[in-house]
Amino acid sequence: MNQPVSTPLVESLLEAPLAPSGIAWLDAARQENLAAFAASGLPDTHVEAWKYTALRMLGQRRFVALDMAAPASTVDAASLALPGVDGPRLVFVNGMFRAELSQVGNLPEGLTLQPLSQALAGDAEPLRFSLSRHYREPGDAFARINAARARDGVVLRVAAHVEITRPVHLVFIAAATEMDLAWHARNVIELGEGARLNLVEQHLASGEPTQLATLVSEIEVREGARLQLTVLQNAATSTHLIRHSGLRLQAQAQATLHVLELGGALVRHDLKVELIGDGAQLLTRGVFMPHGRQHIDTQLAIRHQALDTTSDSSWRGVANDRGRGVFRGAIMVAPGADGSDANLSNKNLLLSPSAEIDTKPELEIYADEVKAAHGATVGQLDERSLFYLRSRGIPLAEARALLTAAFCRAVLADLPNEALREHLSTLLVEQLPNT
Amino acid sequence: MNSMINESSSATTLRDNADVAKVLGRTYSAGFITDIEMTGLPPGLDEGTVRAISAIKGEPEWMTEWRLQAFHHWLTMPQPDWAKVKLDPIDYQAISYYAAPKAKPKSLDEVDPALLETYEKLGVPLHERAALAGVAVDAVFDSVSVGTTFRKQLAEAGVLFCSMSEAIREYPEIVRKYLGSVVPGGDNFFAALNSAVFSDGSFVFIPKGVRCPMELSTYFRINAQNTGQFERTLIVAEEGAHVSYLEGCTAPKRDENQLHAAVVELVALEGAQIKYSTVQNWYPGDENGVGGIYNFVTKRGDCRGDDSKICWTQVETGSAITWKYPSVVLRGDRAVGEFYSVALTHHFQQADTGTKMIHLGKHTKSKIVSKGISAGRSSNSYRGLVKMEKSAEGARNYTQCDSLLIGKKCGAHTFPYMEVKNPTAIVEHEATTSKISDDQMFYCRARGIGEEDAVSMIVDGFCKQVFRELPMEFAVEAKKLLEVSLEGAVG
Amino acid sequence: MLKIENLHARVAGKEILKGLDLSINAGEVHAIMGPNGAGKSTLGNVLCGRDGYEVTDGTVSYNGMDLLTMAPEARAATGVFLAFQYPVEIPGVNNTYFLRAALNAQRKTRGEKELDSMQFLKLVREKLKVMQISDELLHRAVNEGFSGGEKKRNEIFQMAVLEPKLAILDETDSGLDIDALKQVAQGVNTLRSPDRAFLMITHYQRLLDYVVPDFVHVLADGRIVESGDKSLALKLEEHGYAGLAERHPAGVGA
Repeated sequence: MNQPVSTPLVESLLEAPLAPSGIAWLDAARQENLAAFAASGLPDTHVEAWKYTALRMLGQRRFVALDMAAPASTVDAASLALPGVDGPRLVFVNGMFRAELSQVGNLPEGLTLQPLSQALAGDAEPLRFSLSRHYREPGDAFARINAARARDGVVLRVAAHVEITRPVHLVFIAAATEMDLAWHARNVIELGEGARLNLVEQHLASGEPTQLATLVSEIEVREGARLQLTVLQNAATSTHLIRHSGLRLQAQAQATLHVLELGGALVRHDLKVELIGDGAQLLTRGVFMPHGRQHIDTQLAIRHQALDTTSDSSWRGVANDRGRGVFRGAIMVAPGADGSDANLSNKNLLLSPSAEIDTKPELEIYADEVKAAHGATVGQLDERSLFYLRSRGIPLAEARALLTAAFCRAVLADLPNEALREHLSTLLVEQLPNT
Repeated sequence: MNSMINESSSATTLRDNADVAKVLGRTYSAGFITDIEMTGLPPGLDEGTVRAISAIKGEPEWMTEWRLQAFHHWLTMPQPDWAKVKLDPIDYQAISYYAAPKAKPKSLDEVDPALLETYEKLGVPLHERAALAGVAVDAVFDSVSVGTTFRKQLAEAGVLFCSMSEAIREYPEIVRKYLGSVVPGGDNFFAALNSAVFSDGSFVFIPKGVRCPMELSTYFRINAQNTGQFERTLIVAEEGAHVSYLEGCTAPKRDENQLHAAVVELVALEGAQIKYSTVQNWYPGDENGVGGIYNFVTKRGDCRGDDSKICWTQVETGSAITWKYPSVVLRGDRAVGEFYSVALTHHFQQADTGTKMIHLGKHTKSKIVSKGISAGRSSNSYRGLVKMEKSAEGARNYTQCDSLLIGKKCGAHTFPYMEVKNPTAIVEHEATTSKISDDQMFYCRARGIGEEDAVSMIVDGFCKQVFRELPMEFAVEAKKLLEVSLEGAVG
Repeated sequence: MLKIENLHARVAGKEILKGLDLSINAGEVHAIMGPNGAGKSTLGNVLCGRDGYEVTDGTVSYNGMDLLTMAPEARAATGVFLAFQYPVEIPGVNNTYFLRAALNAQRKTRGEKELDSMQFLKLVREKLKVMQISDELLHRAVNEGFSGGEKKRNEIFQMAVLEPKLAILDETDSGLDIDALKQVAQGVNTLRSPDRAFLMITHYQRLLDYVVPDFVHVLADGRIVESGDKSLALKLEEHGYAGLAERHPAGVGA
């Protein structure tokens, strides 16, 4: 490995000293992660996980760390409501909790929901495991700087055997400021045994902020618990958003993920799921729609580490203009993880001569009682379907739009929240070009 | 021409080169056999080594310079570590880059009985066994006569087929034009090393409009000994020419070399077709993973002309470590690239193999069929790249990768890369991993077929799509080879 | 020929056969009927030695041999044949090749001379004619892409070529339309002979309209609860399987 090159970005992220938290283990972990970030710098494209996402340009920019909240007037609390999402809402602006925009009210029994900044002011010990993590892989630079710098985020716990019926809404808003800002938020989410939670994570912009935002979420789903997570990423096309989500599913736990990547300039999501308990089940659905000059990179890694675990993933990409979509879908079945059943599909449409899709499904199998399959395609709309529609009198452009919309919407089919599904479906269609 | 057979055995060489000269109507110049060659070079690699090899071969200055350039490039490169293989560090200074020909056994009695047993199982004809085992006397004489017959026929068709050393001397203008034009001297670590120190290899040139009158296989099969660990092959098919070439043999070769770093370059001009089939069964190491060949090969074809076609077929069962990605650059419009592969690993073998299909031309097509079989404690990876460049209007790729696991301690992996920059291109990839199903096993056994036979039957079926692409006689042997390689894998 | 005594067998820890007794002599055709879950298919699989079917008690003697200790392929070589309910697909393995490998493996075990490809082809041609099967099936991979009916006919065709002593037909009639059923039945009838016995496992009576059995047994809850001649099948057709559990075990059939 070459010596890390210190770029303006790295320098700017290292500039401000770490403010002490008063919690010894936390300060130590932050120091170590900061040191690790300083030592590694940014990954270049020789690092496999960053092969298709070059950080050369981003590396030349500077972002200031400012604990300065954006003027409240730029965000209208009422505009944050999402159809079908009527539970408590936590709102963060530029990575800091904003009580006046949030609706916490009376939380249902068994639900703990508070900003990290508050949680740390109280008993921080339960957060020790999650916040002491070190991110060691060569591509984890942003998780490292996040671990060092994040001051706020969400702490969410559902007690054992509690079902939270109304979806919990987490909103991360990037609001324009005078200087280009870097902010970091960190979520710690835990579902107790047999608990159920429906969670919606949303990324929004207020104005056209030029920012670098990182979000790390550590999610633990304990035995028999069920998590339904929907992510709507609609950041400003001037915002660089880098997320790292780690899910651990214990025995018989189930997680269903729906991810819509619509906004952002350079968007990167590392989604790592570990099926560590027997019978754990994962379903992931996602769509990424880079257009303009957007670059959207999803790195999905699923590890089957226990008996009879299943994963089913279906992701779609639509790239238009000069947009570039990158997808990696890696399935690993560990030795002894017999009875694993893993399936992954990634289908992509290229709509413009300057768009690009790079996809890389992977299978890494170390057990033999396994069913594993993946498929990936890049191409255009099915000619026969197109012809069929036209033969019924639908004009070409309309037929295209129809089929493209259907192509994207397919990933929402398994989303049970009907109102939310309809809303997301509309958003998808709006994002499509009017061909 | 038979310097490939045995450069040191001057009597044979002279006789044979004289024959060739007669056939080709050229004068033979014998000055290249030197004393250095008889003793070989001591271990170590520096500029002097490269110069010495070039001198031994009596190469022109441009060739020496070409080698040196590759060598200097190699010095700047790290050994690649991205493949999914574990290997001990290679000490490049401990290798002798030009070995004197080995002392050959004088008769089959001196050959390792285990090797002979394998030949027996594979059904290798008796007269070939000696040649494969490296027995010097009769077999070589025999093969020379066989070779001569073939050569006459080839020469009549205008086909040039000789060792690379001879080609550099006899056809420098062709070699100079094409050598390194597909795999440049500094292409990758092992290719650069090969370019600097390659000892010999094969050269095939099919002139415009000629269909090579035979599979270039039998000849090679008998003559492929001692081409050395750094083999260099160049095949050029001019406009409309066709050739089918089979490399390797189905029986394990007697070979003590640890590191093999070969380079194969194929050039297909307009309308030309090259079919390159490999059956690789180098020594895989023993059942404890001791010994065995490191097979680090760069193979690439260039579909340079419109409507050209290059097809790689490989059956890889040997070597301790295989690192190999036969690729096709689809430059011409409507060019076709194909890759059919069976890779079987057992015991502690590691294979990281696959292909690259680089689509540049319009309406180019590629097809990839890869079948991996892992048994024992082995690791078997498919790694492939399909790239649709902006210019690849209407290009298509279809890839199918299937892995079969036999046993609980092996690994089967699939790493396909797809990069698409043209909205009219279509890329499709499908992959599965499974074990032989209990249902299939029971069905066979309930019909009276024993366990081992059932496994080889199912594995053979699994590989069918690839075997179909092999020349007939080799498909049969490849099948037997799988059976032999899988022995002891079940139960 | 076949004597099953007090057979108990478990699948995945669950007891399915609970003391089954049955005797079959050469030349006889037996039908075993019963409701779903009675253990019909388990019986066929136990007799052919499928993994995962654990015999916990009882004996199966076949021509004086202890069948239960033998490997599946050894049973096949002694003439036990199972026509599968769901024949598995084996991609890439040619149907003819498969059948020849099976026949020769069996012949080799029995100490008979293996057939060369010419002899085998001649045999196959003969059987094809009798079975009314198009030889197009022969060129395809084993069961790959076959329709349900084609798979079942292929099983009967294999039976014809392998000429077993004891043929077990596991729900060979299921999923067939009437024409296919007739073809299958005709195939079976052609193969009836004094030295060959049949055990037909079926849920419905309709196959028995075309292949008339010598004996009919009712299997319920892991035991033979009633035995009789073909009229029993008609009775069952009329009254259904309801109330079977209350009947007394019928003991040894035939």
